[in-house]
Amino acid sequence: MQPGPGGGAAAGNARHPMKRRVPLSEPSLGDPHQLFHDTSSAHGPGSYVAHRVPGGLGYSSPLQPGFLDDPMSNMAVAYGSSLAAHGKELVDKNIDRFIPVTKLKYYFAVDTVYVGKKLGLLVFPYLHQDWEVQYQQDMPVAPRFDINAPDLYIPAMAFITYILVAGLALGTQDRFSPDLLGLQASSALAWLTVEVLAILLSLYLVTVNTDLTTIDLLAFSGYKMIGGVVTGLLFGKTGYYVVLSWCCVAIFVFMIRTLRLKILSEVAAEGVLVRGARNQLRMYLTMAIAAAQPLFMYWLTFHLVR
Amino acid sequence: MAFTLYSLLQAALLCVNAIAVLHEERFLKNIGWGTDQGIGGFGEEPGIKSQLMNLIRSVRTVMRVDQYFQKLKAHSFKI
Repeated sequence: MQPGPGGGAAAGNARHPMKRRVPLSEPSLGDPHQLFHDTSSAHGPGSYVAHRVPGGLGYSSPLQPGFLDDPMSNMAVAYGSSLAAHGKELVDKNIDRFIPVTKLKYYFAVDTVYVGKKLGLLVFPYLHQDWEVQYQQDMPVAPRFDINAPDLYIPAMAFITYILVAGLALGTQDRFSPDLLGLQASSALAWLTVEVLAILLSLYLVTVNTDLTTIDLLAFSGYKMIGGVVTGLLFGKTGYYVVLSWCCVAIFVFMIRTLRLKILSEVAAEGVLVRGARNQLRMYLTMAIAAAQPLFMYWLTFHLVR
Repeated sequence: MAFTLYSLLQAALLCVNAIAVLHEERFLKNIGWGTDQGIGGFGEEPGIKSQLMNLIRSVRTVMRVDQYFQKLKAHSFKI
């Protein structure tokens, strides 16, 4: 019932940006089963339910007229639906143990304005001045209200688009077969995992006291897929290399400016040259993380251009 | 570019196995990475070397407890 209008919440948010500004800290307390923050208007769920009911009845009756008249089958339907409800309760109770759902909800709290601005920032980060993430009572502000906050919506969409664009590029070169899509997806996912694990390991070794979570790192690693999508769309060698070099430099600058505030100490982040082994090491780490992004972008797309 | 998630899992398994079979006395002490040589200073800066030694020691301790890991390794290389 709920996931349907939840999908339209991202589009619905653009229509009601002013109403959602006040309740910042507790996005959804009402329904614990709800996975998405539904901000679409009231007639959204109603129309979804109205679509569902005639569809349900219309499916069973053409098969056998009087299918649901038998009291035994009535009991069977009731039993089946109670089993399903019990299973749903069990999943809802236990899902917080494996996937931190409330933390994930923060990363998907985006709207179209944020997405547009963030995409522009990823491709052209040179004019943006203030890269600080705003905080509100010790919690970072949702991405809807702060363009510097990381989100998972753009990386997820970019990843899926990258797979589709890779399939398209392979198709124009007559090298396409359906299992190649799955292969592309899993190898890109594997490289992302390797990168996130390597960054986590190096952050642990350098003992950086940072508030970068694993999901943050996943988001930052996913941002380079945007460059992968844009370069994959170009067919032709020279166009590909031009766009690739532009995207590489852009993502390098973006990562340096974003990570500088998170990894380096506050004094060093403001541009003052602080000499010390620790700060130097942290600077090298930031540079290494930022330099790995263009490398991966090249690695993930060069086989698409022949 | 057939780098699948399964090969990633295999690589991780091999790395953990490599750490688990490092022999303490013959190898780590010779290059100064033994477990009794690292817990020197409780100062502010652990440094990369002591962090790495701690990591290796904790991986080895976990693997010592987990004998199931040995069976998993044996099964995975039959494929």
